[in-house]
Parts: sequence; structure tokens; C-alpha cells
Amino acid sequence: MTDEAPLLKVVGLTKVYGATPVVDRVDLVVERGEIVMIVGPSGAGKSTLLRCINRIEDPYAGEVVVDGVNMAGELRGGKLVADSTAETARKRQKIGMVFQRFNLFSHLSAIDNVAIGPYRVLGVPLEEARDRAMALLDRVKLKQHAGKRPAQLSGGQQQRVAIARALAMNPVLMLFDEPTSALDPELVGEVLAVIRALARDGMTMLVVTHEMQFAREVGTRLVFMDGGRIVEDTVPETFFANPASDRAREFLRRVSKPEDFENA
Amino acid sequence: MGSVDWGVMIYAIPYMLKGALVTLEISSLSMLLGCLVGIVCGFLLLSEIAPLKGFVRCYVYFVRGTPALVQIFLVYFALPVVGIEIAPFWGAVVALGFNAGGFIAEIVRAGLQSIDAGQTEAAKAIGMTHRQTLYYILFPQSLRVITPPLTNELITLVKSSSLLSAISIYELTRATQLIISAKFTPFELYALLAVFYLVIVSALAQLSEYIERRLA
Repeated sequence: MTDEAPLLKVVGLTKVYGATPVVDRVDLVVERGEIVMIVGPSGAGKSTLLRCINRIEDPYAGEVVVDGVNMAGELRGGKLVADSTAETARKRQKIGMVFQRFNLFSHLSAIDNVAIGPYRVLGVPLEEARDRAMALLDRVKLKQHAGKRPAQLSGGQQQRVAIARALAMNPVLMLFDEPTSALDPELVGEVLAVIRALARDGMTMLVVTHEMQFAREVGTRLVFMDGGRIVEDTVPETFFANPASDRAREFLRRVSKPEDFENA
Repeated sequence: MGSVDWGVMIYAIPYMLKGALVTLEISSLSMLLGCLVGIVCGFLLLSEIAPLKGFVRCYVYFVRGTPALVQIFLVYFALPVVGIEIAPFWGAVVALGFNAGGFIAEIVRAGLQSIDAGQTEAAKAIGMTHRQTLYYILFPQSLRVITPPLTNELITLVKSSSLLSAISIYELTRATQLIISAKFTPFELYALLAVFYLVIVSALAQLSEYIERRLA
């Protein structure tokens, strides 16, 4: 767990549904503080890659090491001994995840959505967990909505609560799975602003997104996926100005000029 | 056609109230036992421990597949044979409680599984274990879904308690039958008996509606 080791190392990660590889032998090394934007056509395996990193889905093959910890199990005498589900749960604590559809706990108020992780999982006393949750809600500018249930909040507000909920576990890595795709256009900005602020604070993150402008401005690195594979791995300026592969050029043309394809 | 004998109904009411009290005692105790057994078994049906799951499945299979009356007879007649002595009152509670428990287990399992998968994923993402997810996220949310079918099951339980008359427990139905055999007025007294059950069941349904509103 030295600081020189990469924060995230993915080697040969593969996920198969039936006979179709959705994520196909993906290698990815992410250093501390990097903001990796993952773009690509739908079905490229972007979301599945994130979900295999924190093992919400079990990968078929490959290795994921986060902050020096192998997510699959412990090496004992050269053999990998698989973790119990409880051990996997413990390892997941330091990887925050934000979902496309927010997935706030519908029976809990905003503040308790944020506090429940520290309280139930980390064993922080309830008062302290709530204080911390309030500070995080303040950080995403939702202090005045702390007592509301998810159903009483807008999509943008719900997503900001969801980000606060993930941050409450003090993650070393944040995974964003299309965080603005389910939002009305006028609510996208407030969520992106929160992610921008996190980026400024030096949080390491992987962001699957369709917001190309945002990817260009906030990303320190850009990964283009297609057909379950990483096709390009570069800096945003290079990718948008001068994509190396035909598939990336095709993708960018579709994204920038959807009207060309509507009448095709 | 003879006229309705109101006098015998007045005569019967104190005895029937006494029986109703026993019905209420046995019903509430078996409800408590049934909910406890049902909730625990409902969780176990979703457990990651296969032998426990299998055991509960067998239990539910048995309860669903045999008549409540047979289950009552088994507790009353069969348990003493294998050396388990139990007072008739508590035997009744055990029989009805475990009968309801089997059905409630399925209701709880279905309720837990009806919650959106995104809730489980979010719970996992903050490091919750399978058990923590069940306790703190899925179960509280499932209560609203569970309440209506659970009410049905508890109503069934109250009505099934009339089967206990077959093992001579002095509950509401048995009390009424005893008066009928002395007074030969089946129409009046069975009609009155129906009213007694209607009152008890209506009170239960009201309570359930109140709880459902509170959970909404």
C-alpha cells in the first residue's frame, strides 16, 4: 500500500453474459488523483466495467487491485483464496459508487441516506454519523433539504444526496455510472458542478458519461470503449481533436451531429 | 316455520364471550409466534446458507400441503406419542402459530424480493453485507407491501382457530356447540357465532388499514 503503487490496477478483466463478452480483457491502471472519463457507444461495457471493479457483479476473469488490495481474495502460498461475501462487502467500503438512477433508500430521509453507511457499516455513533452527514449535505448544497424523503426531491437533488452518501464512507475511489443520464436537462448542471468540485479536491474517479463537454473539461484522462474493449486511452484534448481509431471518429460524429442520423 | 328464539341468544352470550376470550388469547399468541417464525423463515429463504434455506423450504412445503386440521391433530395426538407433553392451550398456539408461520414466510420472502434491485446495489456499494441489506434496507421498505397479505393470513388464523373445537378446546366455536347440544337451537346460535367472528375479524382489518396508512 505504498503511495507509489497505482490506486487502481485492472488486469485482463472479463465479464461474459451467456457466450457474449461484455467486458473483454480490459487492462487499466489509474494513479491517485486521476479523473478518468469513460465514453463509448451504448453496450460498450462501460457500466459493466465499473460494476465489476467494485464487484457488484462478479467478473468472469481478471484481476482488480484497489489501493493495494485484491478485490477477489487473498494470495496464500501463491494461490488466490476467494473472499467471503462479508469480506467483499468490507473491501467495497472504500469504493464509492453513484448510479444512473440514484437508488436512494426510499424509506430514509436525505440525511439518513447519508448517515446509514457510517452508522450501520462503520459503527460510527448515530449522532456523529448525522453530524457528518449534515456536513456532507452542506457540501452538495442540500442542507435545507436534509429531512426530506427521496420522493420529495428533484432528480438532481437526489443525485447530489447519492454523491454525499458515497462520500460518507470516505472512499479512496469514486465510480460514477452515467450520473446525469436520468436527469432532466436543466438539472444536469448542478450534479456536474458537484463532481467538478470533487475533482478539484483531488478525488480519484472513474466517470462513465455521455456529457462530452464535461468529459473534455474535467477529465485528466479519457478512455474510449467499444465492444467490451478499451480502444483508446489518452488525454481528452487529443481524443476530441484527433481520435486515433475509426470507431472513435465514428462515435464522435454520431455524438456531435445526431441530426445526421435521425433521417438516415 | 318456527320463530327466532331471541331468549337463547341472550342466554348464550356470556358463554360465548368466555369462548371468544380464549379465541382471542390463542389467536394473538399464535399471531405473535407466526409472525416471529414467518419473518425469520422469510429471511432464511433468502439466506446464503443452503441447508437452512432447504430446511425452511421443507417446512413451508409441509404447512402448505397439509390441512390445518391435520396439523392440529398432529400436535395434539402425535407429539405425546413421541414423548412431548404439551398443554392443549399451548399445543393450539404452537399448531396455529407454525401454520401461519409457513405462509407468512412466503409473504415476507415475496415482499423482500419485490423491492427494486437498485436498492440492493446501493446498499452493497456502501459496503453493507447481505444481512445488513436485508435488515436495514429491504425489510423496512417491504413492510408496506407485506401488510395486506399478512392481514389476510392473520384473518385466516382467527378463523382457523375454530378448528380447535375438534380437540375440545373451549374456544368460541366449541362454546357455541356446547350450548347448541343442550338447547337444540343451531340456527340462532350459529348465526350469532358468525357475528362474533365478523366483529373480531373486522377489528383486525381496521387495525391493519390503520398500520398501512401509517406506513404509506
